[in-house]
Amino acid sequence: MNADPMITAIEAPPAPRRRLRVPLAGIIGAAIVGIWVLMAIIGPYIAPHDVGALVDDDVFGQASWALPLGSDYLGRDVLSRILVGARYSIGVAAAATFLAILMGGTLGMLAAVSRGSIDMALSRFFDALISIPSKMSALVVIAALGSSIPVLIGTVAVICTPGAFRIWRALAVNVAALDFVKVARARGEGTGYLIREEILPNIAGPVLTDFGLRFVFAVLLLSSLSFLGLGVQPPNADWGSLVRENINGLADGALAVVMPAIAIATLTIGVNLLIDNLPGRWSSSGEH
Amino acid sequence: MRNKDEIEKVEMAGANTLRLKDAFRRGASRRDVISMLIAAGMSAAAASPIATFAETAYAQAPRRGGKVKVATTNNSTADTLDPPKGINQTDYSRITTFYNGLTTINEAFAVQLDLAEEITPSERATVWNIKLRRDVRFHDGSPLTSADVVYSLSRHKDPAVGSGVRVLAAQMQEIVATGPHEVRILLDAPNADLPVIFGEWHFMIVKDGATDFRVANGTGPYKCKEFRPGVRSIAVRNSEYFKPGKPYLDEIELFGIPDEPARVNALLSGDVQLISGISPSSAQRISSAPKVSLFETRAGAYHDLDLRLDLTPGSNLDFVLAVKHMLNREQIRRAVYRNYAVIGNDQPIDPTNPFYDASLPQRPFDLDKARFHLQRSGFAGQTFPIVVSPAAFNSEDIAQLLQQAGRQINLNFEIRRVPADGYWSNEWRKHPIFFTSTTPKPTADLAFTLNYKSDAAYNVSAWRNERFDSLLLEARSETDISKRREMYGAMQRLVRDNCGVCIPVFASYLDGHASHLKGLRSIPTYGLMGCNFAESIWLDQ
Amino acid sequence: MNPPLVHLLASRIAAAILTLGFVSVAVFVGTEILPGDVAQTLLGQSATPEAVAGLRAALHLDQPAYIRYFRWLGRLLTGDPGRSLVNNLPVAELISSRLPNSLILASVTALVCVPVALVLGVTSAIWRGRIYDRVANFLTMSVVAVPEFLIATLLVIIFAVHLRWFPALSYAAGIVSLDQFFRLFALPVLTLSCVMIAQMMRMTRAAVIDTLRSSYVEMAVLKGARPMRVVLTHALPNAIGPIANAVALSLSYLLGGAIVVEIIFNYPGLARLLVDAVSTRDMPLVQACAMIYCTAYLFLAMLADVASVLSNPRLRY
Repeated sequence: MNADPMITAIEAPPAPRRRLRVPLAGIIGAAIVGIWVLMAIIGPYIAPHDVGALVDDDVFGQASWALPLGSDYLGRDVLSRILVGARYSIGVAAAATFLAILMGGTLGMLAAVSRGSIDMALSRFFDALISIPSKMSALVVIAALGSSIPVLIGTVAVICTPGAFRIWRALAVNVAALDFVKVARARGEGTGYLIREEILPNIAGPVLTDFGLRFVFAVLLLSSLSFLGLGVQPPNADWGSLVRENINGLADGALAVVMPAIAIATLTIGVNLLIDNLPGRWSSSGEH
Repeated sequence: MRNKDEIEKVEMAGANTLRLKDAFRRGASRRDVISMLIAAGMSAAAASPIATFAETAYAQAPRRGGKVKVATTNNSTADTLDPPKGINQTDYSRITTFYNGLTTINEAFAVQLDLAEEITPSERATVWNIKLRRDVRFHDGSPLTSADVVYSLSRHKDPAVGSGVRVLAAQMQEIVATGPHEVRILLDAPNADLPVIFGEWHFMIVKDGATDFRVANGTGPYKCKEFRPGVRSIAVRNSEYFKPGKPYLDEIELFGIPDEPARVNALLSGDVQLISGISPSSAQRISSAPKVSLFETRAGAYHDLDLRLDLTPGSNLDFVLAVKHMLNREQIRRAVYRNYAVIGNDQPIDPTNPFYDASLPQRPFDLDKARFHLQRSGFAGQTFPIVVSPAAFNSEDIAQLLQQAGRQINLNFEIRRVPADGYWSNEWRKHPIFFTSTTPKPTADLAFTLNYKSDAAYNVSAWRNERFDSLLLEARSETDISKRREMYGAMQRLVRDNCGVCIPVFASYLDGHASHLKGLRSIPTYGLMGCNFAESIWLDQ
Repeated sequence: MNPPLVHLLASRIAAAILTLGFVSVAVFVGTEILPGDVAQTLLGQSATPEAVAGLRAALHLDQPAYIRYFRWLGRLLTGDPGRSLVNNLPVAELISSRLPNSLILASVTALVCVPVALVLGVTSAIWRGRIYDRVANFLTMSVVAVPEFLIATLLVIIFAVHLRWFPALSYAAGIVSLDQFFRLFALPVLTLSCVMIAQMMRMTRAAVIDTLRSSYVEMAVLKGARPMRVVLTHALPNAIGPIANAVALSLSYLLGGAIVVEIIFNYPGLARLLVDAVSTRDMPLVQACAMIYCTAYLFLAMLADVASVLSNPRLRY
């Protein structure tokens, strides 16, 4: 366990500590994320079977040497399906989350720095966006743009943006009211400078936490959008959809439903462990 | 086949029903039976033995009392108590709980008189005279009269009603009351199947002038105590029901649980006693659990892969034949349906139908033949989209198995999943290759007429075949059973070899019930006894 | 009440009306863009062109879109949200039978989740880096990573099918006793909590830790205040803004996003009504649901902003 420097600072005179050292938990997180990212890249090439091939006469088959994670509801290899699904769950969700944070975060900070009518307009716009039924938005998107991976990324991003905006704005507003920001403003610094140099560094911890959570929601959102027809097309499937299509095996504890769920959980925990234990000013554990 | 023996026993009881029994033995459809009944004047006396065998089929006398909760597959604000507007099993089940039809269809696939006491055709089945029972009352106490029947049947023609069977109703040119309990119907062409059509859920009888369907005022076995669309309905026993002894239960609460695992869990936890629409992959869970039973209805329902013959690539018959040979029917039956299905042969008449032609050779899964036809079609190596949707059952799974087979012979299918929402109005039939879910039809004639005739509204593959059309019309007026069997056989062959509809299997309907719920029998028009379970089920406690 | 707060409230209410107007236009345009209409969905597989045309005329769907919109708006302004196109029942009646259910489920869940999440968040911020913090984070993250439908189905299989402690369905009519109430709501509330607690807890933890870095907290530390006291009296009040926003976002999810729970537990709430209405293209009903959802969201967002302003004196001008 790493003893947190802030706590140490509060409890006792500061002990000399090596700076910028990533704690063990962070290394574990990075390792998990690294493995999954690697799988996302090479998954389809190392998958033992074709993602759509029926390789087992039995459905929801148990693990065996040939099928290390058993078979799914049609008799397909679960391991191969998870390996191939990795790039959809990780790639699409990560891209969409970055996009959402880029849009929501930037506009949130802009609103916080600008205040006044820009703030009002942006805030109310995102309030309106969040109030439009998401099923309707998704169906409208499918009808207007069809179903493809870029459209899927865009849709997930748009659904995640208003929430990101609200959190980033709330964090930035607090910082923007602090004295050093006022001083900078009085110095005549531009909005871009204020956001980049004064606001962003001071809200880094919580917004990274927000990123971690939003990423999880994006991974889970994929399966509901796929179910609507917007998203990954069969025989490929993202992890959430793998859980959904095998849900009937849950009562018997079929690996086909358990394993994709574990994949999502490990990815989530990995990402958030990493975020919690980043070194330097990005740390959300108090070090700065 | 316990039921069939009992059917025969009962039929033996009436000497003048012997002819019927023979007819059944020979595999006559209820249409043949009707023509015999017609010949005999179809009096209530002649019809009653058929009407009573259903009750005597029990080994055990039904008990009265108790409450049952039933969960079906659909639940939405579009739920309705207005028979013409019914669109799914939930609606049909409510309709049969609160209303009756002039006729009904029983487990022997035979027509049985219900509100009608006598149905007599004249002028070669163009004019039909219906005599109603006189002992029937609506739930509000008013007696059933011819005005109610005229009103109920005429409504279907009004576009504002939005009837699902407007096409079938269109043939009734004139519907008039000829007495307080007599109705005469004039058709635009002869149709001996009219009594079958009256047994259809949409044609159930409502009160004359009824426009408010927030509660049901029918003649059915239960009265409507509560109805909230998208939530539930509560039905309480109609103590003045015209069928003696029926119904058995005090109350039926009916609602839909669209999520299949949730529905199955609700049965297993004892929260509900009867559910429909069990997916084959849950069947094992139910059959192995204590105190609940699986109930399979073999019927002619099929989930067809359709190739439009007027669009590329389906316009090339070789391509169609290649696809038909690429369907691994055994694999589909095993993997997708867990063997709760019967292998299909790309034609819509299933083995439960008396006119099923068993001599028609089964089309095998044969990739060599498929490759041969594919080469001849010139489409080898190309990619074609298949449109699938959760709205068309199992379409996604069947398409994926076909995709796998395609890879082996150098044909690529790209699966395009579209929303269930709006599938039937926006996607269905608008692409070269897509899926349909087809419900069983009570007669071979209807199965062909509604889905395969050149000008049929649901001729999904846009198939045009003059010989088929003329055979269909000939068969309709042919009274010699062996000749008709021959004609229907020829039609099955024509569809199998030329049409763009691929039917890999006929799927069973799977329902589940608490073991102490009794009285369910399979009626091959739909699951849950053809959605007509309400008056027959009872609790053994 | 101080003047800036009054000003804030007044401008927010004005803005809310504009937002609602904007949402209603967006929803209307959305239902227009969606392929298919009420007539087609009502007829389903039997939608022949002439049958659709007939039904369309009967439902006045053949009128130009803007006329239908303004007719609906005009009625709404007189307090009548119209009738459902699908079943001809008054929209007000449909809503009033579902809204209380949604509110009950949302309140019970909020009562359970918010305190748990805040306590977990603040305590793990205090003991950040310790084993307690690690375990709390690990557990909440593992739970939030599981798809909601899987949690719900798993809970039903364990507690309803096998143990038989709770019913598998949570239909709310005719609850007579507290015990019954508890049994009906246990599983849905537990499912929703799994989804909600993580977000609120994580944001609380992050926001509290973040404020611990600020100079005035360091000042308090240097003055020798105890860590618990530092967090509770110095850091927490300054973190209320972001926390309130995270809570508001999560709570707004409870009204419109409880769809999975409503479906699996067969609970007749607003979310399913909205999804039904979208599926059947039932414009007046979609509008009414969207308006309610929007109002609730704006109200929660306003509360969050008021909380931010009150908690941070610097924002009061």
